[in-house]
Amino acid sequence: MIEKPITDYDEEVRNCSCSYCGNNCDDITYLLKDKKIVGVRHACRIGASKIINDQDQRLLNPLVRNDEGILEETTWDVALDKTARLLYESDRPVLYGWGETSVEAIKKGIKIAEKTGAVMDNQSTICHGSSIQAFQNVGHPVMTLGEVKNRADVVVYVGTNPMDDHPRHLSRYTTFPEGFFRKNGRKDRTVITLDPKYTNTAKVSDEWIQFNMNEDYLLFDALRMLLKGESLDEEEIAGVPTSQLENLIQIMKNAEYGALFFGLGVSQTLGKQKNVDMLIQLVEDLNRYSKWSMLPMRGFFNVSGFNIALTSETGYPYGVDFSRGYPRFMVGETTTIDLLNRREPDFFMAISADPGVQFPGYTIKHLINIPTIQIDTHWGPYTELADIVLPSTRVGVETEGTAYRMDSIPLFMKKVIDKPENCHSDEWILTQLYERIEILKQEEDN
Amino acid sequence: MKVMVNTGTSVIQAFYEKKGSTLKDEYRQSAAVAFMDLKDMQKLSLKSRDKIKIKSEWGEVVLYVDISYDAPHEGMVFIPRGPWANIIISPETYCCNVPTYKGIPAEIFKTDEDVLLVSQLMNKVYNKYNLDDDKLTDKPVYKKRMI
Ligand code: SF4
Repeated sequence: MIEKPITDYDEEVRNCSCSYCGNNCDDITYLLKDKKIVGVRHACRIGASKIINDQDQRLLNPLVRNDEGILEETTWDVALDKTARLLYESDRPVLYGWGETSVEAIKKGIKIAEKTGAVMDNQSTICHGSSIQAFQNVGHPVMTLGEVKNRADVVVYVGTNPMDDHPRHLSRYTTFPEGFFRKNGRKDRTVITLDPKYTNTAKVSDEWIQFNMNEDYLLFDALRMLLKGESLDEEEIAGVPTSQLENLIQIMKNAEYGALFFGLGVSQTLGKQKNVDMLIQLVEDLNRYSKWSMLPMRGFFNVSGFNIALTSETGYPYGVDFSRGYPRFMVGETTTIDLLNRREPDFFMAISADPGVQFPGYTIKHLINIPTIQIDTHWGPYTELADIVLPSTRVGVETEGTAYRMDSIPLFMKKVIDKPENCHSDEWILTQLYERIEILKQEEDN
Repeated sequence: MKVMVNTGTSVIQAFYEKKGSTLKDEYRQSAAVAFMDLKDMQKLSLKSRDKIKIKSEWGEVVLYVDISYDAPHEGMVFIPRGPWANIIISPETYCCNVPTYKGIPAEIFKTDEDVLLVSQLMNKVYNKYNLDDDKLTDKPVYKKRMI
């Protein structure tokens, strides 16, 4: 199907920032007509779907469940007062989400968590958490995507399929663009994909190395041995012929600048953070011969920003528990899924996240028994379980804010169109909640 | 038939999720689907868009079936992430904070039961507010009021 180019617009806004995946493409042009977005240039399919999204499921007014269990429109004052009181009176509140909002809002959230003794957690808890654990175990050699574009001659993707999840990763940063030292773009680069599946990324790579699922650790360890000049007795490691691995390690060793990206295929399969540990050590070893760096392929446009903001405030990246008055972080203990599985929380607020889409059913079942609050832009599966709904605005479209790209580069996202009249930004909503909680506290103290 | 279930993101499901149309049929058609090896489908005399019931230790749910593009090995089923897949995946984190989204043993049966829309599914499975199923559709259900 070929869609016709959009010609019916009266304003063009350049250099907008896409608010979907961790690529944070900031070269997007919005096409407006009568102050409404009618078209998007440069964005990929999924990015565009988020920018020009359907409005018939848009949350437009605050909602509170009535006695019949039906959500009913109400005023901001009523909804905010109720939320603040529930949060203030709870013993084990969890504030979850944050991947699709600005760092400014996240900072407000941290203040609330501190004040109410809540657990502050984001989507890392169900995706790249184990990668972050590995980084804290052994450190990791970082890079920016700009460096990759200008310098990289060898690009390796492990357990990730950016052609589907981060569609413009290859075209904007790593593979196709011309760089300062890579004048001929694609021709100057070797791209290798390691994946059990023949993914769309594998299809556009120079080489696809298929390895057995759940044998990541073995594979990376074998590569390290080869790099150190050891020979392998086996003919096949993790389903890959040893000769193919020898060839791969030669290419990696001889790279002028190597960039390695890895995805959930590495950090969610058997071995989890240990796989990432091993991958980091491989990259470390490679640095004896050449310059190599690595990055996890972060999903939402600001999951990385949450980890950075929380680490700079508390020293821990996610799943931070303030219940004792000081921050604590313990994997499997203070992390959302574990808390819900143990049926501990007595208050749950999701901010720009949909646990109805993301959590296992068994985990969600605890949300039936406790007050649940939603701060989001659209009606989703979680709304069906929410007691109070606070309608917010879209960062990078209706609200300005800062987000961190997957390589930890902060980018400012501008406001382009006006928000729906009765919606407010996450930052505004959280500020209001904070103020109300302060008042409740003062009342109690007196 | 016994199978191993993997869940994960699919572009089409992500497209409708981000577009904000999760209540509609288009989201159900993209996320409430079990992608199967053709051989497995033949074993149960299934055609594309027939329906199956899938049961794991954690729950059961009715899904459409379709032929997998990645032609996985026999005995493997892929379901895009979403409210339907959630019902059967394992909450076990092995103390590593991430639930088990992949590698869930399950059993499948051919069925004539309906694949539910999001609002009906959430009401049936979690039944938080005990709502009347007939009133739940592909549109948000809420009471308007003059503010
Ligand atoms: S690649 Fe990611 S950031 Fe870029 S346009 Fe697509 S969804 Fe948006």
